[in-house]
Amino acid sequence: MTISATQVEDSGPVPQKGHWLDRIDRACERIGDSLNPILVKETRQALKSRQFVTTFSVLLFAALGWTVVGSLSLMPQIYTSPSAPRLLIGYYVVLAIPMLLVVPLAAYRSLEGEIDDGTLELLSISTLSPWQIVLGKLASAMLQMVLYYVALFPCVAYAYTLRGVDLPTTLLIMALLIAAAVMLTILSLFFAPLARSRTGRISTLLAVMLVLLLSEWGLAFLVVNLILFGNPLSTGMMFYIVTSALMFALSIGHLLLTATAAQLTPESENRSTYLRVSMLLFSTVIVGLGALAIQMFELAAVDILLIYGIVAGVFWLICGSMIAAEREVVTPRVRRELPSSLFARCLLTWLTPGPVTGLVFAVVNVVALALAGHIAFRYFFDQAATPAIPNPVNLLILGVASYTVVFLVSVRLVIGGLRIKNNPRVEVGLAALIAVSVLGALVPYSLGLHFNDYREYSYSGWQISNWAWTLLEIFRGRDLEREVVVVAFTGLVAFLGCILARPQVVLPRRTATPLRVKRERAETGT
Amino acid sequence: MSREKPRESDTFMGDELGAKPLQDDSFLRSAVTNRVHVAEDDCIEMRRLHRFFGETRAVDDVSFSVKRGHVFGYIGPNGAGKTTSMRILATLDLPSYGDALVDGFSVVNDPEYVRRRLGFMPDAFGTYRDVNCQEYLDFFARAYGLVGRERNERLKWVLHFTGTMGMAEKPIRGLSKGMKQRLCLGRALIHDPAVMILDEPAAGLDPRARIDLRRMIRELADRGKTILISSHILTELAEMCDTVGIIEQGRLLATGSVEEIQYEQATHRELTIRILNDTNRAAQKLQTRPGVDQLIVDGQLIRFEFEGEVEDQAAIVAWLVSGGFEVAEVSSHKKSLEDVFLHVTEGLVQ
Repeated sequence: MTISATQVEDSGPVPQKGHWLDRIDRACERIGDSLNPILVKETRQALKSRQFVTTFSVLLFAALGWTVVGSLSLMPQIYTSPSAPRLLIGYYVVLAIPMLLVVPLAAYRSLEGEIDDGTLELLSISTLSPWQIVLGKLASAMLQMVLYYVALFPCVAYAYTLRGVDLPTTLLIMALLIAAAVMLTILSLFFAPLARSRTGRISTLLAVMLVLLLSEWGLAFLVVNLILFGNPLSTGMMFYIVTSALMFALSIGHLLLTATAAQLTPESENRSTYLRVSMLLFSTVIVGLGALAIQMFELAAVDILLIYGIVAGVFWLICGSMIAAEREVVTPRVRRELPSSLFARCLLTWLTPGPVTGLVFAVVNVVALALAGHIAFRYFFDQAATPAIPNPVNLLILGVASYTVVFLVSVRLVIGGLRIKNNPRVEVGLAALIAVSVLGALVPYSLGLHFNDYREYSYSGWQISNWAWTLLEIFRGRDLEREVVVVAFTGLVAFLGCILARPQVVLPRRTATPLRVKRERAETGT
Repeated sequence: MSREKPRESDTFMGDELGAKPLQDDSFLRSAVTNRVHVAEDDCIEMRRLHRFFGETRAVDDVSFSVKRGHVFGYIGPNGAGKTTSMRILATLDLPSYGDALVDGFSVVNDPEYVRRRLGFMPDAFGTYRDVNCQEYLDFFARAYGLVGRERNERLKWVLHFTGTMGMAEKPIRGLSKGMKQRLCLGRALIHDPAVMILDEPAAGLDPRARIDLRRMIRELADRGKTILISSHILTELAEMCDTVGIIEQGRLLATGSVEEIQYEQATHRELTIRILNDTNRAAQKLQTRPGVDQLIVDGQLIRFEFEGEVEDQAAIVAWLVSGGFEVAEVSSHKKSLEDVFLHVTEGLVQ
């Protein structure tokens, strides 16, 4: 019954030259070979799945139905007055449901199914990288989006011919829909491997559905307003919004995809460096967009910068708490890839996995962003011909940065203590951050309330760990220089203490690659 | 019975292994891909492997090696640590301490090189919805980086080898368990791995399917593949394995060839003696003899476990005859692998 590989090899010679159809066939096969295997598999599965056939059929029938019903309802004015808005709203609804709900949920279920059915393990021992798996899933979802979009394109074109919505607005709506669909798919993929328990799965599914429904509603609100009232923004503002949305979408999308791939990557591999590079990219985007805002809007950019400051602070608190909660163990495999020269170690060690290098990374980013904020505000006040930056602004920036550093160091210490007996996930770092920040604010406030017989009382130096009240007081213009300096000094000492306490963890040394591995690399060209 | 002892010279990660020159292998030379063994003669090696889940020691200081082209049977009750150690070997889990090498590459430090050499068949099927057999195998061939003609030929070979050619266009969900097992074996074989790890491949199969599977595994071993297989069907393992390892509560209790283990246990045998007169009194007297255990009287037959050499066995018979008992028949049963397993293990699970 069995035959050998040699027999098979000899049984059917493949012609190298032949009919032009054969050549096309071979070219197509070569293209197919170069595609991501997950994309090929997912597309095969999707095109045969009941879900796709049903959704596609419903989409076609709904579009056809709305074309007939919508056109008839606009008769006879359709020949004389602009009638595109109503039809376009209908087509948007028909297209948005599969693109913003069905496709992201299908991508979520697809990745979750790989974990449930045990096929993810089979893939993880193949030569496919976690990035390929995630990108394959995303590409397959995007392919479905393209199919839905192409199917509805004639309807949108028909609506455009009825006048009432200009071409840039129509294109903007379609671009918004596609960008939102891609981002929501990325977000759904990120959530899929997050929880492993049944309860966790249900919670993440509910969270994903909530996000999808809210996004569907929010985008529908925006699009309907755009269709009915047109685009109210100036060209400059429009350019800035589109650019910043695109940059944020790219950097957050990259971060989420990297985080999803990291969740699928085995523990022994380096999962941290790529995430840190992605975070660095996000910081750079914030600084770049801030600079662009100053360049474009000058003094009017203050509000934008404040928003960016809040976003950056929250971002680094969340990400910093998780990277400060990483495992201390750097596997020999990772050690082989560490930078070895003095120059490379000086520049790249903060990208090395580990909680203390992570802390250094987060703190350096926080300080850099605070510095960027300081420079930006100095620019504004120079523009406004004010002799110097008012002290509260400096204090606010320093205060936010100092509290962030103190919280991150606290998270590092809490998780370090937990790791003595347990092996917590990095998400526990986020929980520790919430606990530290809430307790840091609530405990002194409650004590103050108790000692003041539960009556309202004014701020004092005892409330120094109450970050919310301290920052609020600074924002109101109160001079709390001494308190901020104490927090900054505490943060600096604690940070240096963390670094100096475990120098071997902060500066892990590169180990040699075994000869066996070197030879294998040379032979296989990897 | 040989008990594995940890070697003091073993290093934690097993990094600094020397390389061996390429070895000639006819099957691999003729196969579509050109993956060859390049390491020591031991193709699989467990070095003081430990895996803890909290307080539970799922794998506790397991060390053994499997030679190239050998079939190693991994025997143990449920929860003994077989699947855990196989998963570590398949790079799906990390050891708490120790290391495992496949073809000289550490599963901890060089999993990507291990994966290229490894075909893993877990106890769960791991199939996809809306995919037929050929598409399933084609997908995994692509996932292992096979392209074009090489992939197509490998696909044909696997379909032929596993006897699933007739099922190529059938959806996987409709396949019988036996056919699914064949398909999963095909998936594990698709990239022509040097080492195969099969976790309970015969579980739930009918006798014919088991015979087919046994034949396929033996054929793969003859083609130079090193196979680690776990099973509860001990008689089958005895027939197809060159060496076996008995594991219980995470500890490896015995390793060696089936004959070696049986020989180690040869001093333990079951004796049946037919005594024509006064069987009960003979049984009472026998119970006082050293080496006699678990004695049962069944009519004229006395069955008991006897620990001793053949000479001791002869001395017992002579002693009975001299005591005036009419010994009509004596039979001695060599211990089967199943008996050895029952003797070595205590039936404990964690």
